[in-house]
Amino acid sequence: MKKILVFLVLVVSVFSFSAPLVVKGSNTVLPIAQMWAEEMKKLNPSINITLEGAGSSTGISALFNNTTDIANSSRWLKASEIEQMGKEKKLFMPIVVAYDGIAVVVNKSIKLENITISTLKDIYTGKITTWNQIDPNLPKNRINVYSRNTASGTYETFSHFVLGSDKMSPAVRMVESTQFEADVVLRDSNAIAYMGIGYVDSNVKVLKVEGVMPSKATVLDSTYIMSRPLYMFINATEGFPMTGPVKEYFSFATSKRGQELVEKAGFIAAYGN
Amino acid sequence: MNKREIKNNFKNIMVVCVACFSILILVMIFGFIIKESVPAISREGFKLFSGMLWYPTHSEPEYGLAAMFIGSLLITLLTAVIVLPLGYIIAFFMYGYAKPWEKNIIKSSIDLLSGVPSVIIGSFLLVYVAPIFFKLGAWSRENILLGAVGLTILSLPYTASLMEEAMSSVDKSMKEGALALGATKFRAGFSVISKAAMPGLMNAVILTLNRIIGETMVVLMASGGAAIIPMSLWDPVRPLTAAIASEMGEVELGSIHYSALFAAGLVLLTISFILTLISKKISRRSSK
Repeated sequence: MKKILVFLVLVVSVFSFSAPLVVKGSNTVLPIAQMWAEEMKKLNPSINITLEGAGSSTGISALFNNTTDIANSSRWLKASEIEQMGKEKKLFMPIVVAYDGIAVVVNKSIKLENITISTLKDIYTGKITTWNQIDPNLPKNRINVYSRNTASGTYETFSHFVLGSDKMSPAVRMVESTQFEADVVLRDSNAIAYMGIGYVDSNVKVLKVEGVMPSKATVLDSTYIMSRPLYMFINATEGFPMTGPVKEYFSFATSKRGQELVEKAGFIAAYGN
Repeated sequence: MNKREIKNNFKNIMVVCVACFSILILVMIFGFIIKESVPAISREGFKLFSGMLWYPTHSEPEYGLAAMFIGSLLITLLTAVIVLPLGYIIAFFMYGYAKPWEKNIIKSSIDLLSGVPSVIIGSFLLVYVAPIFFKLGAWSRENILLGAVGLTILSLPYTASLMEEAMSSVDKSMKEGALALGATKFRAGFSVISKAAMPGLMNAVILTLNRIIGETMVVLMASGGAAIIPMSLWDPVRPLTAAIASEMGEVELGSIHYSALFAAGLVLLTISFILTLISKKISRRSSK
């Protein structure tokens, strides 16, 4: 009897919460969204936010079939998605919430400071395979090239900046997470990888790209080439929501505190700089 | 019909229903995978299975499963080369040489080993085994050999206990007869018992292969993730299972990419189906 009561209380307590706000999408934006959700929960304990990082494409397709309220994305809409919006008579409103730069990282033992986009392209398409092809002073070891897997928004942005329409060499290792890349670069003296600057820590060496170090200033004014805005998309087909959890989330994200949290997560605030 | 018969009938029907349910699930999985892979197969045709290049998200996509298929086969073969002799030796020792308490220890450690989650084996390999391989001359941290070592750890308990079972099921008189005729313990175990247990041993080999080729987590973590055909033990490899696990989560539903991943699943399922059929055939022949 007692067990049944406890179960009933649990069920009731789950359903009695206000309808949850669902936030889905890019893994890159996930750490920011997590911080926002935690802070919002502190300010207003009755709000109920469900977070899921599943990749930008997943977030946007969830927005189409109404299984999410907010879609985080680390890339702009694809032509096919804009087409689908027209077909379904929907309008998604993009909001820039932060800026991010993609850093190229190597092991600390590699005596290389700068890399050009064309060298990077040669490495990722497999034309350059050893370090001494970049600089004769570097060891004659094979370069272990790492990339995020094709579902990642970071992958798409990187290919856009570096590869253009060319294809990545099949010898590039596709890995599941940015954390894995960071770990590999720390342990393998011949590894090269790329990641959002929010993930870079002191264990790896960040290379200058075309002579520019990724930093807050260089990302904001786009002198660092591989810079990108991070978005959240909301469904604004029936106008911008002026009440409800979506509005609350939006207001917090763009508030002073929300933007401070963006910086705390390792990205660059979009507002108030 | 009295109460007892009704009760009995009801129970029978329940049992039949549950039994049919497992068949239904199998049929549904087969049907589902075939249905989902049809778009890719009909659009790409034979190129899907013969193409070496896998660029599913490129603006000019290519969906070639061949490199990953060969990767799957090679890593399975490499693992088999390591695990089958090891498993046989362990089974041989347990059957012919081990005292009951030794056998007990081996049996229970094997059982414990088989319970270790594959994700833990994967992490263990990356943190502890990969640095050793670096010292031995590996040029990359994740490689086909590291994956094969992980698969060996995973499948060794399975292989050893299946082989031991096969040898134990041979009639005891065979062993006693061989020993009585003056054969050494080794000779009796190796030439007489193993020969008699051959169908069972072959069955163990096939079931092991079946298990290795379907394993996902270890190869995803430890074998590299580059869809190339490995030329040395230190080269990375990306088996079909790793590709499915890596990409299925974020693929656009209903796209050709999605369908091609199911085609990869169909390939794996077909291999597993054939291996199971062979295994059934072997055990049927031996029971005659």
